[in-house]
Amino acid sequence: MSFEVPIGPQHPIHVEPLMLRLKVDGELIVDVDVDVSYLHRGIEKGLEVRTYLQGLYLAERICGICNCAHSLCYCLNVEQLLGKEAPPRAKYLRVIVEELSRMHSHLLWLGHYFHTLGFETLFMYFWRDRERVMDMLELITGNRVTTAYNTIGGVRRDITPEAESKLRKALDYLEERMRYYDKVIDSEPTILARTQGVGLLKPEDAIKLGTVGPHLRASGVKHDVRLDDPYSGHDEIPFNVVTWDTCDCYGRVKVRMGEVRECISMIRYALDHLPSGDYRLKIPPFFKAPEGESLSRVEAPRGELVHYSISNGGTNPYRYKVRTPTLANILSVTYMLKSRGDYEVYIADVPPILGGIDPCICCTARVVITDEARKKRRILTLSDLERYSQEKGARRR
Amino acid sequence: MIEKILEALIFPGAIFILAISLFYEWFDRKLYARLQNRVGPHLAGPFGLLQPFADLVKLLSKEDIVPRAADGFLFTLTPILAPTIILFACMFLPISGLSGVISFRGDLIAVMAILSIYTIMVYLAGEGSNNRFASIGATRAALQLIGYEIPLTLALLSVAVAAGSLSLHGIVEAQLRRGFWFIAGLQLIGFAIFVVASQAEMERIPFDIPEAEQEIVAGWEVEYGGRRLALFRLSKDLELVLLSGLGATVFLGGPLGPVIPGLEPLLYTIYFLVKSIIVLAVFTIVRAIFARLRIDQMLSFSWRWLMPPAMILIILTEVIA
Repeated sequence: MSFEVPIGPQHPIHVEPLMLRLKVDGELIVDVDVDVSYLHRGIEKGLEVRTYLQGLYLAERICGICNCAHSLCYCLNVEQLLGKEAPPRAKYLRVIVEELSRMHSHLLWLGHYFHTLGFETLFMYFWRDRERVMDMLELITGNRVTTAYNTIGGVRRDITPEAESKLRKALDYLEERMRYYDKVIDSEPTILARTQGVGLLKPEDAIKLGTVGPHLRASGVKHDVRLDDPYSGHDEIPFNVVTWDTCDCYGRVKVRMGEVRECISMIRYALDHLPSGDYRLKIPPFFKAPEGESLSRVEAPRGELVHYSISNGGTNPYRYKVRTPTLANILSVTYMLKSRGDYEVYIADVPPILGGIDPCICCTARVVITDEARKKRRILTLSDLERYSQEKGARRR
Repeated sequence: MIEKILEALIFPGAIFILAISLFYEWFDRKLYARLQNRVGPHLAGPFGLLQPFADLVKLLSKEDIVPRAADGFLFTLTPILAPTIILFACMFLPISGLSGVISFRGDLIAVMAILSIYTIMVYLAGEGSNNRFASIGATRAALQLIGYEIPLTLALLSVAVAAGSLSLHGIVEAQLRRGFWFIAGLQLIGFAIFVVASQAEMERIPFDIPEAEQEIVAGWEVEYGGRRLALFRLSKDLELVLLSGLGATVFLGGPLGPVIPGLEPLLYTIYFLVKSIIVLAVFTIVRAIFARLRIDQMLSFSWRWLMPPAMILIILTEVIA
């Protein structure tokens, strides 16, 4: 006998609304249906009605955790439209803050991941160490979470020698802690039991399903925008692309652990080799971008982030399009959650598998309705959307 | 007669046990928090000692909701029965003397039976609330029982074999006679099995599978709120007293210790509390250092790693005794 178990739209493992309809047979999952459209915010439209500089603040708020990646991607996009490039010092500073925010995102993820496995102690430990990174972000950028550091043509402020020495101390501390966590994760049998062999995703399937970021690298595919398309001085800063070939949730943990260590060494290198000079170009607040289109890619903590814009020569973009990493990864979740033959997925495996992609739903919600049965696809207008939400609300009542 | 009634109602009976159950919850939460680098309860009362009581009162004062789909009879009966039977089992614990408020030959068996009945209560509570998460949780609780119940029983029984008695009073007396506690020796293995199986009985990490928050929200107790939830929480606190007290009695000599004539009840109570808090601290540390197992992993773990040692233990005890 099989019945349906709804995981969401509100559920303790989801911070954001996401619906997984699981069809289960006892504890075994036979089928899954995913619905991400609970949180459409119309940001792309919002970007189109704002000037380029106003848009920066909105773009930064697409995602709270990878705000740095979004603002960087937006700035790169607009700079490309204008045909300008940030000065070398700004590039290095951008890398420092980007890697710090990657560390903060990964530490947050690691903590939350062990929380989903029921390991509350490790959750608290990781989040305590993440505080150290947040303090560093605050020291350098002035803000803990939404850093507002990148701006069109560079960064908003320079790094002070005092902040630099504090940052180095924090890096030493974190390096020490990561060594300790590595030992814990590798020697704790309950963690290994819950992650090894769970959520298998072979490299060829991962590529076919279009996954990106650490999720793809945990399947053993060496793919990293920083390597493939160096966008902010990454061709000068040496770093390793961390991959893992177990293709399971354990690999996803190890890849993120490895990436935190890479972040530490990248920041150290950037601090040692920080070029002198200006940290931003002088760009007036109101400007018209020349006609054209531009595409920018950034390796966000969750994976490849793509911003695309079309300009018709006005003060605001004619069309702006964002492809966030979770949107690329969410398909693989439905694939990994289905039991097939020897590969069995239990209800208890939902948190580790779903958590493994580091889902961020607020960047993912899209309003494209695809009716697979009738092979129809339509995009809703604002009034359609209003009507739809009213109808949906009436149905719920 | 009056003395007996007071003993059952106040000390060391119902009211005393309820009071220490709230204290044990505080201790468990505080130690758990300190192990995680947190502060833990610290607002209500000195060191937050009154926090469990405040939580209980808050829950008791909340609105009482019975879901339309739930089975009204089970939904009302189980929250009342669950703390009652555990409180009843606590009466067997030798707190202020060498035997408990109630004591008879074979009361160890009664305590073990009550522990199983509690799990049946959990099962009924989950199935009675007619919710998908609750029925998954209830099924998991029943499945888990298959895993831990036999090792738990065997671990306690091997002590009974060593003591030559099936009553808690007899086990305490045997330790008094021999001059050492059962934990010093072969029964140390039994203690380890007891600790692990108790975690499963109390549904704590790594075996909080029936109420796994991240998977099935709150499992079998998902529909319970207000005073019903308060009663279930109280029964969990009472379980802390029961199992840590049972561990202290059976393996650590319970109320035994150096006594000054005339002050026996007081000293016995202190020794009992200290020992059971030591056992409780072990429970808490176990809770803090593991991730949650999956139900199939839990079952294979207990049949692979708890059952054989428990079997061998009872055979060895039989041979030596």
